[in-house]
Amino acid sequence: MTAAVRPDAGLKLAGAAVFGTDLDVPGMLWAAFVPAPVAHGRIRSLDLRAARALPGVTVIGPDDLAGLVGPGERDSERTLFAEGEIVYRNQPLAVVAAPSLSEARAAVAAVKVEVDPLPIVSDLEQVFPEWPGSDADASPLIAAHVRARHGNVDVEFRKADRVVSETYRTASVHQVALEPHACVAEIRGDIWFVRTTTQSPFGVREDASSLLGWPESSIVVEGTWVGGGFGGKGACFLEPYALLLARATGRPVRLALTYSEEFRLGRTTLPAVVRMETAVTAGQIRARRVRLLLDVGTSLPGRDFATGYSIGFLLGPYRTEAFEVEGYAVRTHKPPFGPHRAPFAPQCAFVVESHLDHVARELNLDPEEFRARHHWREGDTTPLGQKVGPFGLASAFERARSTAREWRAEAPPGHGVGIGCGFWSTSTGAGGEVRLRLGPQRLVVLQGEREIGSGSVLAGLTAVAARTSGLPPERISIEYGNTAEAPFDSGVYGSRTLGALGRAIEEAVTALRRTLAQRLGARGQAELSIERDEIYAEAGERRAALVVLLTPEEDAAGGILAEGRHFAPPRTIDEKRVLSGSFYPYTDFTGAAHVAEVSVDPATGAVRVERYAAFQDAGTVVDRGSAQAQVEGGVAMGLGTALTEEAIWSDEGRLVNDGLLDYRIPTLDEIPPIAVEFIEGFAGAGPFGAKGLGEPPIVPVPATVAIATRAACGAHVTELPLSAERVARALKLL
Amino acid sequence: MTAGQLRLTVNGTAVELADVPAPERLLDTLRWRMKLKGTKEGCRTGDCGACTVLVDGRTCLSCLTLAHEVDGTSVTTIEVGPEDALVGRVRAAFEAAGALQCGYCTPGFVMAIAGLLRERGTGAPREELLEGLGGNLCRCTGYTAIVRAVDALRTETP
Repeated sequence: MTAAVRPDAGLKLAGAAVFGTDLDVPGMLWAAFVPAPVAHGRIRSLDLRAARALPGVTVIGPDDLAGLVGPGERDSERTLFAEGEIVYRNQPLAVVAAPSLSEARAAVAAVKVEVDPLPIVSDLEQVFPEWPGSDADASPLIAAHVRARHGNVDVEFRKADRVVSETYRTASVHQVALEPHACVAEIRGDIWFVRTTTQSPFGVREDASSLLGWPESSIVVEGTWVGGGFGGKGACFLEPYALLLARATGRPVRLALTYSEEFRLGRTTLPAVVRMETAVTAGQIRARRVRLLLDVGTSLPGRDFATGYSIGFLLGPYRTEAFEVEGYAVRTHKPPFGPHRAPFAPQCAFVVESHLDHVARELNLDPEEFRARHHWREGDTTPLGQKVGPFGLASAFERARSTAREWRAEAPPGHGVGIGCGFWSTSTGAGGEVRLRLGPQRLVVLQGEREIGSGSVLAGLTAVAARTSGLPPERISIEYGNTAEAPFDSGVYGSRTLGALGRAIEEAVTALRRTLAQRLGARGQAELSIERDEIYAEAGERRAALVVLLTPEEDAAGGILAEGRHFAPPRTIDEKRVLSGSFYPYTDFTGAAHVAEVSVDPATGAVRVERYAAFQDAGTVVDRGSAQAQVEGGVAMGLGTALTEEAIWSDEGRLVNDGLLDYRIPTLDEIPPIAVEFIEGFAGAGPFGAKGLGEPPIVPVPATVAIATRAACGAHVTELPLSAERVARALKLL
Repeated sequence: MTAGQLRLTVNGTAVELADVPAPERLLDTLRWRMKLKGTKEGCRTGDCGACTVLVDGRTCLSCLTLAHEVDGTSVTTIEVGPEDALVGRVRAAFEAAGALQCGYCTPGFVMAIAGLLRERGTGAPREELLEGLGGNLCRCTGYTAIVRAVDALRTETP
């Protein structure tokens, strides 16, 4: 399929797309949080009187909730405000609304809070300088403890030719969507109505309901255009506060974060420590031990999905006879852990690839040959006992090796070329539904997701509807409806949109075409086509304009209606291998192999990526333009994770670099040429065998840069990011 | 002229504003006073470039500019109509190159590129133009498609 102009390009290039930060309602009040002044402490007093005395100011603190929340059961663990104990710096203590932002800030400044500071847990290795002992499970600092095992690990390690052990450390990285979180709430009669920049309107509704105690049926969430998500806008965040203020004041209320608040309050990837041990016999990986300490900030115990999911990425995509993994989610005084494009998978791939490259070097084996020999292939069994489905990694790796050979032949001295691999799986989420209306002129798809930029909604779903219906893309309209109008979908995350809603569209289009065939007196599915500007249906020997096939009710409704839904295909792991905690199966297997050529400044250790190539397993490419854009954007974002991005938390639990000057994302002049090639034919779970592409392209990037850096200068850096300082230390320049 | 009063031209239209406080930023004047929301608010610290507009044809970070500093000037924002041929050409190049995804950085990029081309011309060295865009951040595209749009603008005859 050819790349078409993005359906949203005209609107966005005219400055006419309304994002969350642009919402503006007459009479609207401006809101701001009262932030906790310490990362850990007991609140001795919270005096809101002076703030309340200011003209036009409304303040809601913990004691005011009882009069505002609904009769329903409320989430008892997750509170809107710090109550009694503060657990991270800037945690909301109260929220204010005022006629202007400056008046809201003045009210925040007028709040008097007295706190008895408590000791702060800021760093994983401060808590566990050694690996957590057997008594750790009882510790309130452990949010999750996952363990899995298979095979004769101890025996394999004992009789191995060689055991290689290493420790890796990875930094906290932020999503840096350029649009900060923002919403405007209004009370419309009995309805709590909020417009917000979100990846999941239905997710916001569900969470707002459980936080506010009002039923989902009384809350309506309407998504705006989203100025970048990357996982950071996947969960309910500002909306309940704005709704409460709207309720308390009777006015529309705007709550938006400043960019430094965006950094300080954002839920994102936090630091981790990984220990890797690999036993090799006769050039084969016989057994692996993987241990993970993952900082999850103030995530609630038992609600941590990241640890068990991450373990899978630390084990794969390599054949391993026997393994033992143990992961701890450790609570520290930071905001809760949150998803960041392919949560923690780029860090996992960095560890796995760097480690296996190192193992091969230690054994005097060809590192690329060594990795290739162990790559999962379709039909293999993952360490956790799931059958590997169609998987394009080996093909991608072959293409990457051939490119790497060419680049090595051309590379000047001081340059290095490396290959990194990664894998990912499309998420299905909690299902997705669409409603279709086929009229005499157009096919309209009504669904509940806003386009967040990836193109998955507007370009991807248009392409699926066009291909399944046989109608040209310009005859397809993707319409958005809020949570009261559109059918349910769980959100634009996990690279799932094309797969989940695309399959729902396939089902609904098939139903439409069957109905039309019946009306034409034929079996099977009618074919649709355009003639003299009208949609025609043809089945068997009969052919008719759609307009004559509609019932009077359909005619009045604008067309024939159909619904489609997609639920996850069943996938399982071997639960016998799980000793504790939750591990997760994959919906499909998406591989990628990337090649980087880098140069390293011999004086400073600064790494520059000179050129880059991505070989991406895509199943079937549905919309080439947006697919390529996802790979280019994912690679660039990964270069930030690889080289510069590091949220630095002080011992006092303060985010030191809470702005875009000090938290460095890649700039235009730092991005190398990026060549993109898709590996097709290894079918995924999406329409036509497509695999989700929002996340997979970022996964191999830090690994690729690290391996190329080692090839360039010999520096084996075991920490992310590969800052000049870390490379210089590895080269003993510092 | 009384305190707080401002006269400027915005997208070709003469505008008179009253009671504009001295500390008000041009970004807020455009967005909240004039309801021109196409100019985006990102960092408000001059690091992201999303708020870039043209003041008398030159690029300007509206978040770091006081409204009173632009008194008497001509301000161009992303809302400017087809009468601004250069902005129109940048828009067309962005559309053709697919140089946008979420679109939040797009108005700033379009204005920054228009300003650069106006100042340096389409014949300016490529490196110079790309370096001139180092202050505009984009998190979605990896800049590759934006660079393709700039390359297309350089090669096309104005």
